[in-house]
Amino acid sequence: MLHFARFAVIRAAMALFTLLLVSLIVFTLMELVPGTCAERYLAFKNTQGSGISIADIEAEERRLGLDRPFLIRWGSWVGNVFVHGDFGDSCILRLNINDLLGDKFAISAAICFAALLFAYLIAIPVGIIAASSKSVLLNGSLRFVSYLGLAMPNFLLALMIMLVSTVLWGDSLTGLFSPEYRDAPWSVAKFLDFLSRAWLPVFILGWSATAFALQTVRALMLDENGKLYVTAARARGLYGRRLLWRYPARHALGPIINSLGFDLNRIFNELPIVAVILTLTEAGALLLESLARSNDQQLAGAIIFMLTATIVSLNFLTDLALALIDPRVRKSVMGR
Amino acid sequence: MSPAEIKTPPLAGAEDDASQRAREAYFTASQYQLIWARFRRNTSAMIAGIILIGLILTGIFAPFLSPHDPTIKGRDKDYTNGAPQLPKFCDDNGCSWRPFIYGVKRERSIKTNFRWVTTIDTEDRRYVQMFVRDWDYSIGPVKSNLHLFGVDKGFVHLFGTDDTGKDIFSRTLHAIYTSLAVGALGVMISFVMALMIGGIAGYFGGWIDGVIQMVTDAIRTIPIIPLFMAIAAFIPQEWSSEMRFFFISIIIGFINWPTLARRVRTHLLVERNQEYVLAAQLQGAGAGHIIRRHLLPSFTSYIIVDLVISFPYIVLSETALSFIGLGLKDPVNSLGVMLQNTTSADVLLNYQWYFIPVLFFIALVMAFVYVGDGLRDAADPYAGVKK
Repeated sequence: MLHFARFAVIRAAMALFTLLLVSLIVFTLMELVPGTCAERYLAFKNTQGSGISIADIEAEERRLGLDRPFLIRWGSWVGNVFVHGDFGDSCILRLNINDLLGDKFAISAAICFAALLFAYLIAIPVGIIAASSKSVLLNGSLRFVSYLGLAMPNFLLALMIMLVSTVLWGDSLTGLFSPEYRDAPWSVAKFLDFLSRAWLPVFILGWSATAFALQTVRALMLDENGKLYVTAARARGLYGRRLLWRYPARHALGPIINSLGFDLNRIFNELPIVAVILTLTEAGALLLESLARSNDQQLAGAIIFMLTATIVSLNFLTDLALALIDPRVRKSVMGR
Repeated sequence: MSPAEIKTPPLAGAEDDASQRAREAYFTASQYQLIWARFRRNTSAMIAGIILIGLILTGIFAPFLSPHDPTIKGRDKDYTNGAPQLPKFCDDNGCSWRPFIYGVKRERSIKTNFRWVTTIDTEDRRYVQMFVRDWDYSIGPVKSNLHLFGVDKGFVHLFGTDDTGKDIFSRTLHAIYTSLAVGALGVMISFVMALMIGGIAGYFGGWIDGVIQMVTDAIRTIPIIPLFMAIAAFIPQEWSSEMRFFFISIIIGFINWPTLARRVRTHLLVERNQEYVLAAQLQGAGAGHIIRRHLLPSFTSYIIVDLVISFPYIVLSETALSFIGLGLKDPVNSLGVMLQNTTSADVLLNYQWYFIPVLFFIALVMAFVYVGDGLRDAADPYAGVKK
């Protein structure tokens, strides 16, 4: 147990270090945007009719602490994020980012994790069946679907579904809430309404990940199926589902757990674009809005950092889970 | 010796003349001949390869193949948001050997409630001509105004027109060219970066490798398209479309390197400790000689395969960026640019031909993926042994 705790601590330290690196990258990007926060505040004041001078901008920069060196500003930004979970204020909207995001990020994360779950619920059984079947047709069509996952990325799929549904039913199936619930506080009715509309984004976001996971599961199972221990088990009289679940499926589980983080990355990747196409009102759409229209670097940086932090924590959790599940990893971690 | 003769070696023993030659061919074949021989046997990859070559040629010769200028200069102002026109041979007025399309008339009168209405005039036949002379273009150094086909008067729109009257068929062909160009440029840049960074990590190993791996892993965890978006948002609005094009290609190439760098590093780490390297070292070969004559040839084929595989990702990144308006802009044609503003109900309900280019892009990416996969299998010397 002590060994495991040590492994967990080391792994957590590595995850923290990755997050620090990511925060440095994100912060540098935010800094690269032309113009500072101070100029924006005063530009706003300018539109209100009061004249501004260079001295005003400098005073404002001092007030916001923008005259300090880059690394110190990064330090204080990261410190606030890690200690207080506070991303500061958005320069454009002049609101606290946490208030601005509110439950939007939670909704995004929930949709994405649902999409991930959906992807694996389909990919694992279908992949296992395909790997043990000799049917050329099944394997060929599976390969086709997997490649289609790349050739028809989520946002194209969303467009196509909108096209078909508009032509056939005259409803584009967009939005996360019905109009009457859009600004209502959370309630059972609102939640049910959300569920009745959320399945489409979940399916669309899970689509590419499903296609890739199918290929992964099938390849892993094929590898394991060819190994001698499977032949040995078969020689002892095991067959069919018992054989599959007891031996090759358990061995293939480790790499599958490992690939979860990458698939979440794939889902997050297209979240903003899909969100805009389907007019979802959550963090992805807000990210695109902040980047494409208002150049709001604080908000964009905060969202990108939160997306990455989610992936890093998932990777951390899957590594821990792997150490618990897989005896080979467990031995190397726990030393027994 | 043609690669067609290369087959798996027949069993020793019955040595007639033909099998002797086949054995000879197998054992003396170069690496590329072997890869080609294996690739040929993969039917789906071969079909994809033919489609891919066709699409690449279409992209390169896009101006020759398109009847109209894809920019605003070539717009058909009498036929905006026009439906696709399919050439036909027969109608109520009889048949003709030369395919024709109908002309259109645009009118506004009290009958149409004073709105512009486009009507098809079935009396006005426009015959399709081959090799017509129209707008000027240049493919590389060659300047010309010859086009594969056109009509004797007015315009022909095989895939319809968009809201400004630009020909979607011509735009699609040019968009294929743009995607290929962005992909090629992006792949080149990420390849050079991957070779340098992966090469350093793989060659030196140790803590340098550790640090580089940590940074690459950190970059790999950031979702890539939001990162593109963040960087693309810095492009000043007043930049010309060519500047945007190069900048977008450069940043896509810049962010795409970690995956490729990791592969280069792994190749190098594995190959560095191979026995043939040791043998060369023992025979007194210098480091430069080993890298040039032994290490590089050992993985160029893998690198080519990796490049082909990473190509579609770059094409798709560009499409995604342009689609949301952060990538390429109007005078440049790309799939993303063409799909902008298609999410409105008006387009979805009335002008479905806006989506025809999507089919070409699915075909392009699929062809790339199948070819890349076929190449990967063919380049793997152990692939055939297992089965």
